[in-house]
Amino acid sequence: MTRPRIDPRQAREAHRVISVGRSRFDLAAKPVGVSRRPRRDPRRERAELMVADAGRMRLDRARPSGMAQPLPQREAAAAAPSVRIIENPVFLVLVIADPIENGTLSAVDRQALGAARALAGGEGGVVLCAEALTEVAGRAGADRLITAPAGLSDPETRAVALEELVGLLQPRHVILPETADGGDLARRLAVRLGEPLFAGAEQVSPRGLVRRVRGRQVDQRAMPPRIVTVEPDMVAPHSGIAHEARPLEVDVRWPGAMVTPAERIRPDAASLSLAEADFVAAVGNGISDLEAFRSLVAALGATPGASRMVCDAGLMPRAAQVGASGTVLSADCYLALGIAGAPQHLQGIAGCRHVVAVNTDLHAAMIERAELAIVADAQAVMPAILRLLAEEERQA
Amino acid sequence: MRIVVLLSAGLHPVSGRTVLQRLEAQAIRLGRSLMDDAGDEILGLHAGPDPSRVADAFGYGLDRMICCRIADGDDPVPSLSAALADLAPDLVLAGRRSQGADETGLVPYQVARDLGLPLAADAAGLMRQGFRIVVDQALPKGVRRRSAIGLPALVSVHSAAPPPLPFVFAAMRRGRADERPGIAAPVAPRDLEERPHRPRARIIGQGGGSAAERLKAATETAKAGGDVLVDPSPDEAARAVVDYLRRIGALGPAPR
Ligand SMILES: Cc1cc2nc3c(=O)[nH]c(=O)nc-3n(C[C@H](O)[C@H](O)[C@H](O)COP(=O)(O)OP(=O)(O)OC[C@H]3O[C@@H](n4cnc5c(N)ncnc54)[C@H](O)[C@@H]3O)c2cc1C
Ligand SMILES: Nc1ncnc2c1ncn2[C@@H]1O[C@H](COP(=O)(O)O)[C@@H](O)[C@H]1O
Repeated sequence: MTRPRIDPRQAREAHRVISVGRSRFDLAAKPVGVSRRPRRDPRRERAELMVADAGRMRLDRARPSGMAQPLPQREAAAAAPSVRIIENPVFLVLVIADPIENGTLSAVDRQALGAARALAGGEGGVVLCAEALTEVAGRAGADRLITAPAGLSDPETRAVALEELVGLLQPRHVILPETADGGDLARRLAVRLGEPLFAGAEQVSPRGLVRRVRGRQVDQRAMPPRIVTVEPDMVAPHSGIAHEARPLEVDVRWPGAMVTPAERIRPDAASLSLAEADFVAAVGNGISDLEAFRSLVAALGATPGASRMVCDAGLMPRAAQVGASGTVLSADCYLALGIAGAPQHLQGIAGCRHVVAVNTDLHAAMIERAELAIVADAQAVMPAILRLLAEEERQA
Repeated sequence: MRIVVLLSAGLHPVSGRTVLQRLEAQAIRLGRSLMDDAGDEILGLHAGPDPSRVADAFGYGLDRMICCRIADGDDPVPSLSAALADLAPDLVLAGRRSQGADETGLVPYQVARDLGLPLAADAAGLMRQGFRIVVDQALPKGVRRRSAIGLPALVSVHSAAPPPLPFVFAAMRRGRADERPGIAAPVAPRDLEERPHRPRARIIGQGGGSAAERLKAATETAKAGGDVLVDPSPDEAARAVVDYLRRIGALGPAPR
């Protein structure tokens, strides 16, 4: 690409203002003779060089900019089927999902499916056994789907049914997430089948599994046995092309009634630790009235949190700090009052599904992150919420 | 009621010295909280070469301890099962995973199978109800699942259980383990490769995708594309927040 060369002396000369005495130049004025070169937008030029659907970011610098079509061979790739079908799997990998919590597969179940995909490779089939027919199963990497009846909370009856399922399908591997339910089930199954268990795999490939042992100072590596549990948040979920998730009918006698009825007890929000809490309301530097905040937290039944500024100032305990150097939340809902949303803070709420922000600054990062953003004075909103809740209480 | 706590000799994650695991000290406390009768007793059971490795348990409130002598690295399950069959306890308490041995957490399950006991995992609290025991199982996010199982039973303890009793040095010095020979059960060598630990990154958020996408997800704020209310009156704002919290179920329904 050649642009006309500029002679700096000549360019300067074009700015000369006619005057007596010393020479003067008006650099702000548009020169008469010399035409300015058009301004470039480097971002747009770069976007035009980008190769579409290349999996990772690729720039095709050989292409003259302004030609925004993808390369021809990329078009062929785009025409490939959007669902991967494995008709006759050479072997099976069975994944047992945890009891479904809110109508969809949990993140840990997806990671277990990702591990199963890694073990199944191109010719193995991944069978997911989950409670409800979840439409996300295919995208998470399942080739077949077995629906288990919901509400089987007694672990021993689940283990009996699972043993039968394993006998029927004869999978090469059985993968479970290392959670309260999954880990328990995996051990019951391992003992029933009399087979070894690889507990808490952190790295999964057909050539070997890796886990941490011995006070976490040693990595143990082994060939994948039949029963494997996958450590949460260590194995990437399946992110490629969706699989089929074809429903599979199996002749398993699922137990009818539970042997021991179980009752779920919801915790008291105030006594929960921040990492365990489901609904967190947090206070930032924009708030000075902490008394109102405390009564708001009590009225909403939330667990209190804070940004680092507030904890550094000693206004809230360090245990309440949310963020990269505080607690990473597992909460479902987050209410941020007067928090700007620094990256270190946002890392702590990366997993929250619902975020509500109250901030006076329309351009705060927290407002952008929030599902419901309110640009208002939080000091005034807090008593208003308290009044509203009290009003409702009084009317009831 | 006779309660037996299974004590494994854990390695301290930093110093590498053998210590009593905190979870097992918590199990001792849970067991003690169930004793209300003068005839009740709590004792520890360990299978290993050296009872002094778990002597701390006396300091945490254990009265008696039985140690089945087996060589280092032997499978403890046959010795434990045999000793338990002998003791015929009403309740067996165990930790979740050992520290320093194989750390699979299979030992309680194998013992329960050998003895034909029902097993309840992850107890954060226990209550006695005649010949049954009510177990509060700890689930994520502080939820407890309450169920009852008949005694005798084996229960594994979760770290959400009450903290251990204060340590009493004199009780630790006084305690004497009752030693007996265990059952030698060498484990067949397995195809395991061990190497120093190399830390691996946790995946934050959804994970997956290309490196560029993951970097973007970690460093840029995702636009939620939600509602923005600019300068509402405080009461409008309060109504919007409360309605939203009700819709997503974070706040209970309005009282009526
Ligand atoms: C290594 C490192 C680690 C860190 N780790 C963390 C961490 O773990 N957690 C963490 O939180 N921070 C962390 N920080 C600090 C972080 O960078 C920010 O400084 C901090 O999060 C800012 O807190 P803030 O939003 O409360 O305060 P500010 O940045 O002062 O923001 C206050 C906000 O309140 C708004 N506001 C003001 N008045 C009102 C009002 N009346 N009503 C409503 N809104 C109002 C303002 O518009 C502003 O957006 C870390 C920093 C470093 C360098
Ligand atoms: N050698 C042992 N002696 C007594 N109890 C043990 C022994 N090994 C394991 N346990 C019990 O079993 C639990 C799980 O251990 P593991 O299956 O080795 O991870 C431990 O927390 C102990 O309660």
